[in-house]
This record gives sequence, structure tokens and C-alpha cells, in this order.
Amino acid sequence: MTVFRNYAETKNRRPGPLNGIRVLEVCTLLFGPAGPSFLAELGAEVIKIELPPVGDVTRSLNPFGWFYKEQGPMFIHINPDKYYMALDLHIDMAQQIFKELCAKSDVVEFNLRPAVTNRWNIGYEEIKKVNPGIIYIEKNGFGQWGRYAEEDRPSNDGAAQALSGYAWLSSFAGQPPLKQSIWICDVFGAMMGEVAVLSALHYRRRTGKGQYIEMSQSENIMRAMTWAWPYQQVTQKHAEPSGNRDQCICPADTFYCKDGQFVALAAPAPDEFKGLCAAMGKPELAADPRFKDHETRLKDENALAILKIIADWAAGRTADEVERLGVKHGFAASRVFSAKDECEDPHRRARGAVKEIDDPMYGQYIDHEIPINMSKTPPKHRWSVRPVGFDNDYIMTRILGRSEQQLKELYGHGVLGKWKDQQGRRPPSDWDGQSGAILRR
Amino acid sequence: MADYKRAKWAAWADHIRSLDDPAKSFEKPEALDDLVVIDLSSRSMAGCFCSSLLAELGAETIRIEPPGGDLIRTYSPGGIMVKDTGLAYLQEGRNKHHVTLNMESAEGREIFKSLVGGADVLIETYPAGTMDNWGLGYAELEKLNPRLIMCSITGYGQFGPDSERKLYDYDNVSQARSGIQYCTGEVLPEGKTVKDMPWAVPTKAGPHIAWAVSGTFGAMGILSALYHRGKTGEGQAIDVCTPEAYSRLADYQLMWYAHAGVIAERFGSLDTALWLYGFFPTKDGGVFLGGLRLEMWKAFVDIIGKYDEWKAGEWTTLAPFMKKDWQLKYQSMIDPETRKYTSEELTQKSVEYAKSGRLAPITPVVAEIVSPWKAMHDENWQDRGIFTPVQDPVYGSVLCAQSQWKATETPPRTKWACRPVGYDNGHVYLKYLGYGPAKLKELEGKGII
Repeated sequence: MTVFRNYAETKNRRPGPLNGIRVLEVCTLLFGPAGPSFLAELGAEVIKIELPPVGDVTRSLNPFGWFYKEQGPMFIHINPDKYYMALDLHIDMAQQIFKELCAKSDVVEFNLRPAVTNRWNIGYEEIKKVNPGIIYIEKNGFGQWGRYAEEDRPSNDGAAQALSGYAWLSSFAGQPPLKQSIWICDVFGAMMGEVAVLSALHYRRRTGKGQYIEMSQSENIMRAMTWAWPYQQVTQKHAEPSGNRDQCICPADTFYCKDGQFVALAAPAPDEFKGLCAAMGKPELAADPRFKDHETRLKDENALAILKIIADWAAGRTADEVERLGVKHGFAASRVFSAKDECEDPHRRARGAVKEIDDPMYGQYIDHEIPINMSKTPPKHRWSVRPVGFDNDYIMTRILGRSEQQLKELYGHGVLGKWKDQQGRRPPSDWDGQSGAILRR
Repeated sequence: MADYKRAKWAAWADHIRSLDDPAKSFEKPEALDDLVVIDLSSRSMAGCFCSSLLAELGAETIRIEPPGGDLIRTYSPGGIMVKDTGLAYLQEGRNKHHVTLNMESAEGREIFKSLVGGADVLIETYPAGTMDNWGLGYAELEKLNPRLIMCSITGYGQFGPDSERKLYDYDNVSQARSGIQYCTGEVLPEGKTVKDMPWAVPTKAGPHIAWAVSGTFGAMGILSALYHRGKTGEGQAIDVCTPEAYSRLADYQLMWYAHAGVIAERFGSLDTALWLYGFFPTKDGGVFLGGLRLEMWKAFVDIIGKYDEWKAGEWTTLAPFMKKDWQLKYQSMIDPETRKYTSEELTQKSVEYAKSGRLAPITPVVAEIVSPWKAMHDENWQDRGIFTPVQDPVYGSVLCAQSQWKATETPPRTKWACRPVGYDNGHVYLKYLGYGPAKLKELEGKGII
């Protein structure tokens, strides 16, 4: 515990663990860009390459018309801590520049339709020639081969929720499948992509060898649907949805309370179940033969009986009361948190999990910290997003040594580009024309 | 698999497949086969998910349970057990050696220290303070093994005011505390109560996703720490808190409240922030429809034959469609149209439209909302190696989702599904500590293993 004393206050004193790693990303929307952001927060230098002048589609997205300083809030959330370059990869000169960058990078990430990298002459075989150690990953709906990939089906998070059975399993029995409010398959798939990349990095350190990785967001979410598959194999029955009840654990469900709030609760272990029975004022239930141990309690009729008893009890309490009783009697319970609860949670604030970013272009605003705390190499969310092509000159000069004259020509040929004068692509209107610019102000 | 029309770029597909087909995984080396991982998870499966990811990549993974097995072994729908193991754990015992050790005894803890001395990674999920009280906190273990990477995954983290709560981490409670369950679910219509519509409430995801997410962040932290250790030789402690980890997957909700004062509420199977993006009914079920660019939305309207009637040709921006009232209006206009087709018919219409439609190759995303049963029998995923059963020497043929990514050099793979409680005591204690049958018998007699 002492290991993390003053962690949030002192984390800026030490670099993140991936300090020294360079990542190129040619990604749009969520599945693609979400992954490299984690690497950036872990300390890698991430260069986001967009197609000029419009760039990433996420720059247009917004909840019910709300933008933060004219920028899509999800673009801000998904793309922090990167350098912004705009290179038109349709043009061969741009493909050459991209290869030069690859020669000096460790990881390159794409989320394009299958075979597009090949068409752009920047497929794995081409890049491997300039950098045999490169870790090259392609993420999309259906991978690079197989029926759905070859049919060139478009995909996104909602399609993956539908095709994997995830949505179907996340509703109430007898009700239509329910879509998650978050882009779970995109971001979970993106996380898994970085596990793949980081393991490849370990292998490269041992052998010097790079590799090619491809993944589909549907296949990744299916990996997380654990018990559904052997359940179907063993019972030869469909895995059924069960609303808020966790079918594997009993009791574990969400209950409606007298203050109109909801509370989630779980108490499968003997000490937890005893604690819950005591909190309900019914200690005798812990000895009831229907509830005597976890396996017995999981039998459907027993599970429904105990959940009914808890529901009746919770209906006479407030959600906060149940949560406090959980702490007192040693069972897990939490009020269902809204975004407001999350934002104002003193625990998350003390941990720096909800933190204020201090950005030269977007000012001070609240966002999530990367949820990995590391005692010797703290990862951190440092800065915000930038307009399309904002860091072109810096990247081209620092990494590739191009002169001002050469840059001018590249802009002239449309190889390099800058933002369109359009919401989300250009700087915010209160920008002073200088803040955030690195090489030239 | 059934025949399908090959793509123009079929040569590329075949080439990539020849390099990364999971059917050939066992011919390839493993990324992490130089590592020893100890998994001391209790009650929470986040740690088991984390250690599974490392074990799938070749790490020698030692799963420690109390004598008699951890509670996790019993997690299973309806309490179904395969031999001594529930179905949830049957997925996450993969590639691990299983030993027993009584951590409540001083001798057990000494044995644990000996194991940690030779390990690269330790994963644990006890409430904060438990390991310290056992004299096994990171500060102590670091002295034994400065290269150790210790990852704790818990419901309240290792620091901060709520870390004082001595509570275990459960998936459904962490989903509730993340802020995501709150804004997921059917909308309760005005005038109705929760009693009338008990399904129109904040709704968690069915799978153990909060655990899977915190476990995956844990793996990301561990692998990053390994990179750092490779440069400097130093290990470290990692702290992942499950509700925080899952919260990070929510997108704009936190900023929206912090800077506009708006609390994201439930919006059924539409999307607060996207259009075209939602679930719609069909003759035989439902489909997901997606078109995040204006042209894709227009293409969809064309597919259902409403291009002219709805004046789609005049639309110049998607912006107004994202508003709540427009979403609801168009939802009610789309529903009767999609009901005219089966899910398969709509899917095929989209595939065809990409070839010959007025806006081709642009086409909307159409995906049938399938049950896990149908997903498991989908030839596309089977062909991609997701549902290749594992042939386990003890548990027989077990269906585990696997090969979640494909790789040319070091793909993940599943070698066995699980081991019974204490099955590897003989092998692991002999290999790492030199304990033979006589010593093990003595420890067993004392209730240590």
C-alpha cells in the first residue's frame, strides 16, 4: 500500500514504461485509434496519420449535437497524446515517406478494409523490406481472409455486438437484444490489439524478429463471452440472456430501491452470504438447505428464491443504505453510478482516475486517466488532440530531416496536407494561432 | 465451408492465410515462453482472464488455489459442473498448471515466497491490504525478487479512500460502479413504472466484461512493465481497479457531464452520439444498421426504396439526424420498412448494393443480431479458428473461444482447457522447490497443500 503513496501527485516525475517506442497509426473511427492511445499514455511516441484535409471521421461525431470547443468529444477521448500528421497515402510520394517513417518505427497500426494496404504499396511485405523488426497490425471487422472479409462487408462496433451474440446475451429474457451504450467491441478489441503488439515487442527483444498481426473486433469480443461457449457445447441448449442477474454467481443481481435508485450486489462466498443474511436481519437463511453453499444456490429454483428475498428487502432500503451495509457486513454492493457520480466520486479524484487535463489548445477539461497505475513507470494522459496535419513540419523535420523548401514542395504536390476549414478539423476558434505548435510559432 | 464468390484480391487473402492461419499455430514459437507467471486470484475472474492472456502466449503459468479449490471454480450457469469445474472457469483455466497452497498458514506463505523468488509476474485480486497483512505486499516481495512484476486487480484499487473497504471485486458490481450500466437499457416510457416493465432499467452486459476489461488492462500493464524491465532490470507494482478500467471504455459521457452538465441516460438500442446506428426489427428477428457517413445512410434509404420519397438526394449533412427527436422520428419510419425483410435478405441487399447500387461501392453496415448459438455455428468464425475445440486430457473436448488474433510469428494458442484442483502439485513443487512425494505428503497432512 505504501508503494502507491502520493502516486497521483508524483506520477509526472517518471516516464511511462514504453518510453522510446515509436508507433505509426493509419486509423479512423474507434477500433483503430483507441489502441495506439493506450500506447501513447504508456509513454510511446504515437504519430497519427490522417488523410488530408478531412481526416478521422470521429471528428464529426457528437452526442445529440454537443461539441467541446467545436471538437467531437469522442475524438478527444479516443485520440489523446498523439502527434498529428496528414499524408495522402494514395500518392506514391506519400507512400515513400511513410516507408521512411516505418524504417524508424517499432509498430505500425491500420484499420482499413482487407487488402487496402497492399493496394497502397505499404502492405506488410513492403514494410518488412525497410524494417524487418516492424510489428505490423491490421484491425477491422472480419480480418484479411475468410468469407466475410472477402465479401468486403463493412463493419463497426454495432455489427460486432450483433454478429458475436454479445447483444443477444445482454438483454432480459423474452425481450429483444439490447445494444450496449458504449462501443464495447471497438475498444475491447483495441485493447486486445495492444496485448498482441506488446507481446510481439517482447518476442522481438528476444529474437530481433517482427511480425504481422490481424484481428477482427467480433472475434475479440467472443473471447470475452467465456462461459457461453462451453455451456452450449455441454447442454446443447442456447445460452440465454438473464438481464442483470449474473448466471454464474449467486446472489449477484441489480435491485430497485425505495429512493428510485438501483443497487448491484454480489455475495457468493460463505462469509459474504452470511454477511448479507445478517444485514437483511435473516441470519437463518445462511443455514437454509436451499442456500447452503454456492453450487446449491446456483440451481435455478434456489437462485430465484434468494433473489426474490433480496429484492423485497432492497425495495425497503435506499441504494446508499445497501452499499453501506455491504461495507459493514462484508459483501460487495454498489449504487448504479451515473456519469455525474463518476465525475464527482472522491475516490476516483483522489486516485487521479478522473483528472483535469491542461492542454495548450483545448485548455483545462475533465477526462479519464488510463486505468493502469505503475509504481516505477506511471503511464499518463498528458495532452489533447490536434487539427488535421498539425504536427507535419515537426515530424518531417525531426525524424526525416526535410528542409523548409522540401516541405513546401510536398505541400504543393498534395502529399502533405493540413486541415479543411471545417468543424473538428481546424483549431478551435479561440486558438491563438500558436499554442501547441512545436517547431514554428 | 460453403462456397462463396472469391474476392478480386483473393490472392492476398490466401497469402495472408498461408502466413497466419491458426491451424498452424503449433508450428510456431511462443512470445512469452521465457516467463513464469503466478496467478493467486481469488473470487474475481479478472486475474484469471489476465493470466489466461499470458498463458495463451506461452508463459508458464502457475495457478494457486486454496486446498479444496477457489470459489471461482463454482462459477457456472445453473451450477453445472464438468468434473470439479464450473463452465466459467473451464474457459480460464487454459494452459495453466494448478497447485494448491494454504495462504492462511505461515508455512504456506513461506512456500509462496519461494515460488515468487523464481517468478517474473504475480497476479492477485485480494482486497487491498490482504497481501500486506500476510507479509506479502510488494514492498516485501520486491526485496526477495527485484525483477518481480506484481499486478493487483481489485474493486477499489490499492490507494484512495475507498481502498479501505475490504471487499472483493465482482463483475456485476463493477459494471454498476462504472457509469456504463446506468446509461444502457430500454427507456421506461412516461407513465410506466419499473413494476410494469422490469426490463426497462439500467442493464449490465451479459458476459463478465468488466472483469475481462480490467484483466486485459492488467496484461497491458504487465507487458509494458516487461519492456521496462528489459531495459533496466527493475520490476514494479501495478494497480488496476475494475470499475475504473471499465469506465475508461465509456466515451464522451464523462466530458458531457463535466462540461455541459448533461447526464447520459438510456436510449434503448439507438445511439446517443451516432446515426445511422442502431438495432431495427426484421421479419425474423433484428439487424444492426450502421452508416456513419452521409452516403452510407443515403445508401440504406435507397436499399429500402425510400430514396426519392424521403428526398435523400437533398441531404447534405448527417448533423441533424443525430438529434434525439430526429433519431426517434426516423426510427419509427424505418421500423415498418425493415420488418418487410428477413435479416438475411437485408444483409444480402447490402452486399449486393456495394456492387451495383446507385452509390456503390458505398453501402450501409447490415448485421443480423444473432444468438451465441448461431454465432458458434457460423462457418466464417469456425473457419477463422475461433471455435476449434481444445482436446483436453482430463476434460475431453472443450469449446473455448480462442485465436482472437492471428499472427505470423507468435500467435496465441490454447493447449489444454483446465486442470483439476491441485493436479500439478507434484510437478510444480518438484520442478521449482525440489519437493518430492514424501515432502508433499507431509504438507498435505498439515493442510498446507
